[in-house]
Amino acid sequence: MSSGLQFYVTTLLVYACVDMMACWALNLQYGVTGLLNFAFILFQAAGAYTAAVLALPLQTANGGFQQYILGLGLPFPWTVLGAGLAGGVLALAIGLISLRKLRTDYEAVVMLVVSIIATTAVSNFVPLFNGSAGVSLVPNPFDGLNVDPLVETWLYVGLAAVAALLTFAFAQRVTNSPFGRSLRAVRENEAAAAAVGKNVARLRLLMFVVGGVIAAMSGGVLVGFIGLWAPSAWLYPETLVIFAAVIIGGRGNNVGAAVGALLVPVAFNEATRFLPQVGNPALIDALQWVVIALLILAFLWFRPQGIVPERRRVFPAARPGANPADRRVAESMAPSGGSR
Amino acid sequence: MAGEELVARDPTTALLSVHDLHCAFGGLNAVDGVSFDVQTGGITGLIGPNGAGKTTALGIIAGATAPTGGTVSFDGRDITRLAVHERARLGLTRTFQLSSEFPRLTVLENLLAAERDQPGDSLWGAVLGRRHWGAAEREYVERARDLLARFGMDGKESEYAGNLSGGQKRLVEIMRALMTRPRLLLLDEPMAGVHPNLAQSIASYLEELRDNGLTMLMIEHELSIVDRLCDPVVVMAQGRIIARGRMAEVRHHEQVLEAYLVG
Amino acid sequence: MDLFVAALGFGLVTASILAIAAVGFTMQFGITNILNLAYGDLMTAAAFVAYVMNQFGINIWIGIVGGGVFGAVASVVLNRWVYSPFLRRGTSPFGMVIVSLAMGLMIQNILLGIGGPTAFSYQMDQGPNLRAGALILTVSQVGIMVISIAAMVAIFLLLTRTRLGKAMRASAANAPLARSCGIRTDRVTDVVWAVSGALCGVAGVVLVMNTASFTAITGSTFLVVIIAVAVLGGVGQPNGAMLGALVVGLATELGAIVIAPSYKDVIAFAILVLVLLVRPQGILSLARAST
Repeated sequence: MSSGLQFYVTTLLVYACVDMMACWALNLQYGVTGLLNFAFILFQAAGAYTAAVLALPLQTANGGFQQYILGLGLPFPWTVLGAGLAGGVLALAIGLISLRKLRTDYEAVVMLVVSIIATTAVSNFVPLFNGSAGVSLVPNPFDGLNVDPLVETWLYVGLAAVAALLTFAFAQRVTNSPFGRSLRAVRENEAAAAAVGKNVARLRLLMFVVGGVIAAMSGGVLVGFIGLWAPSAWLYPETLVIFAAVIIGGRGNNVGAAVGALLVPVAFNEATRFLPQVGNPALIDALQWVVIALLILAFLWFRPQGIVPERRRVFPAARPGANPADRRVAESMAPSGGSR
Repeated sequence: MAGEELVARDPTTALLSVHDLHCAFGGLNAVDGVSFDVQTGGITGLIGPNGAGKTTALGIIAGATAPTGGTVSFDGRDITRLAVHERARLGLTRTFQLSSEFPRLTVLENLLAAERDQPGDSLWGAVLGRRHWGAAEREYVERARDLLARFGMDGKESEYAGNLSGGQKRLVEIMRALMTRPRLLLLDEPMAGVHPNLAQSIASYLEELRDNGLTMLMIEHELSIVDRLCDPVVVMAQGRIIARGRMAEVRHHEQVLEAYLVG
Repeated sequence: MDLFVAALGFGLVTASILAIAAVGFTMQFGITNILNLAYGDLMTAAAFVAYVMNQFGINIWIGIVGGGVFGAVASVVLNRWVYSPFLRRGTSPFGMVIVSLAMGLMIQNILLGIGGPTAFSYQMDQGPNLRAGALILTVSQVGIMVISIAAMVAIFLLLTRTRLGKAMRASAANAPLARSCGIRTDRVTDVVWAVSGALCGVAGVVLVMNTASFTAITGSTFLVVIIAVAVLGGVGQPNGAMLGALVVGLATELGAIVIAPSYKDVIAFAILVLVLLVRPQGILSLARAST
């Protein structure tokens, strides 16, 4: 493979891993728990910024052309862990204020507004993260090894893949456990879940924070690779892209979320890369968004469960010889008969 | 269902006691000074015409509605400020008037979701994996299956609860409530919208549960069911209690007749 | 002090624009019970229609009418062809948020595709400055305020003095009950979307008239402030929206002289958060905002 092609492929692979992490995080919040996190991209952004300003040297370095807080020059993995912490704290703050038994659509809209305002605030308050220019020259964790840049990118693919695998394992364990079942109960009927002893408010806040942590870490992984991060990377419509991925791929299950991640952010973006430039420069981009919007509507209408639907959980049959207790043979409740 | 879980510790004090409950919505007094006790054992009926405030009163007892005045005591403990899920943990469980099954969970999962003390039911427990919670899960699956068999629904365990008939959904809700090992079960019109034959079946199950020692408080409209199951009966109208006692006495009460004719 | 009075003037202009926009937005919520997140983008589209008319030499004040008509038609179509079908299917309120957001993005990007990423300006004469003491406003700004007041009075009269208005309020309060009283709720719904859509279109055009230029995202950024106003006044309550517009319009302009002008939206957002924390149902609303 030529080096140009390799750079392309590695970039694609890293983005795939990061997008899958983001989709698993949103799936845990939305698909499993029924949380409506319309500020999702904000958490990935918070993670990216935090990882960046933890990895960058003091702002006076590099000629001092950009302003930002911190600048501690920390190595990996502190950067990504710090990112996760920032995501968790932000989620806690936002969650405590907005997850307060508002109507579900109010809640979603408030989160959306938070996301929009955050973009404005960060763009205008330059000393924080260098405003709309964003932060750049973020060091790659493998810089210290002094290897060929091509080798460096492949090493990073490995890093991203490990992060993605760990996230998948975590998400699977949560989803397929009694805890995951409680979350789904909350999703299905909050009042009934509370009536059987679930602390609904606490569970929702918990998953909001967990999702925020994973989203932030995905941002941390991404920024280490691409080396820069600016408000244009996390405008509010990006949240809709992740939602589209989860809805199209299949909500409530992690395989579906991964499929969605590969189809929407990755394949879709790549498909248009090779189209010729026609019309005004924004046309292709604009068309992408129109198609995404149409896909969302189409799936919500025709196939809301997505490409890979949530599977029905069937439990293994009772061991032979197990004693099915004293059965009361009352009249059967169903036309087809359930009692034997 | 082990009977010993369902009997209150001290049979002389009332299991549930509500005192001077008030609940106002806007200018309307939905519940206007309601006080009554529910003794351990048996099914207490809460009846009255539409708009009498029965569902509001039940909602206050369950913790879903906040009263504007009054107290609720459960087993000698003031639970007026407790959240719904905390009351469920104490053994006070309710069912709902409108079907409240978890539709996209299977019948078996509906029951399992209600199980308390499941080590896998926390984030950390989940992360530790099946090795940590697998044994408890197998035990609870067996318990749930026993319950399903008792209620004649063992063939439906892998069916999505949302695909069941109305009567079957009611049963799932009752079974789910039983999984929480309740000491007092609040039933909000369990027969509403159910075919009369099925209603009689549900009534039989409730009788069985009563005979096994489960205490229940039930709102019900169908007076023949109330007659069959409930003793004593508390009659509400326009937010107040207008009569209480055995069904036989109460049905001849002048105020009660008036309320049902007018209300 | 002079700065304060001048900011007061700007605040009144902003409040005027907000009033038109927020009343339309809140009416749509009142009748259909969804938060139409495509509202801001429809405003941009209407502003664009007026721009095109303007390019053909038509005076921008006539363009307001064009924008209004476009807004009315587009909104009725949006409800009939997209929102209603999804609602009839039983889509949850949250699902509707996704639908309306997707529609908004679609409209925004269609505009982007047609017009390109540049900013557009109206060819208009702002008119001479009018002074009243320290208060300085251009003729066109006063014109906007006049239009706004006229629109508010018209809506108020429509809702309270006409049979149609009563039918609208009844359908918004309790559709099944209204139907059983013989009110044609689907006709009424169309009318509400047409009227609110017209307000949306007019608001879009006057918004741009006040800021002189716009891009494809102008409307959606303004939506944040509209939502703040609607929530403050109580969603579904037109009177509340008018009051909310006054409060937010003045607050953001006056606040902007204390903090930098680029943070105006942040002030609106702070108001929104405050309202949701303290009184989610808004100042005037009787409806409950909690589940």
